[in-house]
Amino acid sequence: MEDADFSNEFCRFIQQAIPSVEAAEILLFLQKSPDRAWSLKDIIEGLRASITISEADGAKWVELLQSRGLVTLGQDRRALYRPASPDLEESARGLARAYAQRPVTLIRMIYALRDTKIQSFADAFRIRKN
Amino acid sequence: MIAFLSGALTLAFILGAVFFLRFWRRTRDRLFLAFSLAFLLLALNQVLAFALDVYREPHSFIYWLRVIGFMLILLAIMDKNLSARRGPVKPGQ
Amino acid sequence: MDILNLVLYAMAVLTSVACMALLFRGYAQTGVRLLLWSALCFVGLSINNVLLFFDVIVFPTEVDLRPFRLIAALGGMLFLLYGFIWESE
Repeated sequence: MEDADFSNEFCRFIQQAIPSVEAAEILLFLQKSPDRAWSLKDIIEGLRASITISEADGAKWVELLQSRGLVTLGQDRRALYRPASPDLEESARGLARAYAQRPVTLIRMIYALRDTKIQSFADAFRIRKN
Repeated sequence: MIAFLSGALTLAFILGAVFFLRFWRRTRDRLFLAFSLAFLLLALNQVLAFALDVYREPHSFIYWLRVIGFMLILLAIMDKNLSARRGPVKPGQ
Repeated sequence: MDILNLVLYAMAVLTSVACMALLFRGYAQTGVRLLLWSALCFVGLSINNVLLFFDVIVFPTEVDLRPFRLIAALGGMLFLLYGFIWESE
């Protein structure tokens, strides 16, 4: 996967919709079985091998994914992978590719993008910008 | 009134310090650690100045807490500019 | 002793003013709102430092500026905390 795949749109997607590795894991988990609606407990259980997520955190990420149009929540609070637009679908597939091929770069990027505003605070104190 | 303002300001400094600490943990940028400590010192200065009823601050050791606090900030700025350090991995790099 | 005090006060004022200036410049260059709130915080802290100077060195007995110092600093900190809570991610 080339660096070109980390395009500006992809970075914008990550910055908007994927603020943590947990959120990425949850989305990719749901993406693997797109016809099945999962309860929060099942998601956490299903991810237990790769990552530990508390119920509170899990609920928070699922709600965030829903608000970004990647996931729908049914009446029974079960989550279903449903990107709201072809662009979101494409970005979500890009996320899966990045996770499979360049996981370390992806993770560093997620956190770097999350911290851009804070980092701008620190960078403001550089008197001469390079 | 002074008591209220003094207490509120102390708490605000402490909260600020806690946030700076959180930012340091996230970015590992030393500047945030320095700011966190500086704001903690400002909080301590505020508490002691009120508790010991000292408002002519320079005539008291409490004043030094404030001075060290601002010196820390100054040192952090100097450190940021004198050690050319790269930021975190940015997209496109 | 007074010269030392003067220098230390000046240092505090210059430091907070420098922070204010750098953060305003950062906001102008990047548009990141967190920097605006942070700059406003240091406006408050700078006013606090300047008033402290007046309170102690210029008018030590005539005037007690403590309420105004505290309000300026508190105002500044409220801007900072607002920025940290709502605009930092």
